[in-house]
Amino acid sequence: MLVMRRRAGESFLIGAEIEIEILEVGPTRVKLGIVAPAQLAISRKEVVLTRAENLTASKTTDPQVIAWLTRKLGPRRAMDTVNSLTLDNKEKSLNNSVQKY
Amino acid sequence: MPRIKTLYFNELEYTEDSPFRFPAGIPGFEDHTAFLFVEQAHTSPLVFMQSLRDPAVCFIGLPATSIDPNYRLQLSPEEGIALGLPWAEQPEIGQEIFSLALITMVEGSDPVANLMSPIVVNLKIRKGIQAIQLGSVYSLRHPLAPEYQAAPCS
Repeated sequence: MLVMRRRAGESFLIGAEIEIEILEVGPTRVKLGIVAPAQLAISRKEVVLTRAENLTASKTTDPQVIAWLTRKLGPRRAMDTVNSLTLDNKEKSLNNSVQKY
Repeated sequence: MPRIKTLYFNELEYTEDSPFRFPAGIPGFEDHTAFLFVEQAHTSPLVFMQSLRDPAVCFIGLPATSIDPNYRLQLSPEEGIALGLPWAEQPEIGQEIFSLALITMVEGSDPVANLMSPIVVNLKIRKGIQAIQLGSVYSLRHPLAPEYQAAPCS
């Protein structure tokens, strides 16, 4: 990995067409400005990872998987109900808002 | 009452005010802007997140606090606004806010839950987003199995 030090107001290029400028350096975050050709998709990495995970999650559809999950998660349920008052409240609000069958 | 075809429960009747609106969809499913959350006694504690747009799109989730009782949200200001919570402090999961971790299970491997990008809904205004917790301590693929395997088999 190439590592370089830059200050706010400085920039660097990737190839001839992509320029990244450091706009602002805060205590925990930096603000970047990106100049790149319009056809180039720029995404935050977390969004790309989330999208890929969502696509896989949407394919988790086998009814046998659900039976297996329910079986496997059963003991956790028992543990939850022993828990505190807040859980009772949560149950109530869920009862009002989630379709039950 | 409107009815929809669902992936797991055949046709369901629902009241107009029960779907949750996701104005921006969720990453990968930007066109899916309304979901019905379905809970069934015999599949508890799973929550099914059924798209109203496409019967074939239904996510399986678990309440984030049922995976980690100390689970905390870290929403960005933009995410707070999208949920109708424009104040600075972080919302608590509870009466007003519900959070769901989506489950992924690929054949041959153990199920994992996405605690890094939880589905967060405001139960009052029935709006939801998929929050992406920046610098999150929570995992995109939090394993569900090992803890359960620790319990003695019956």
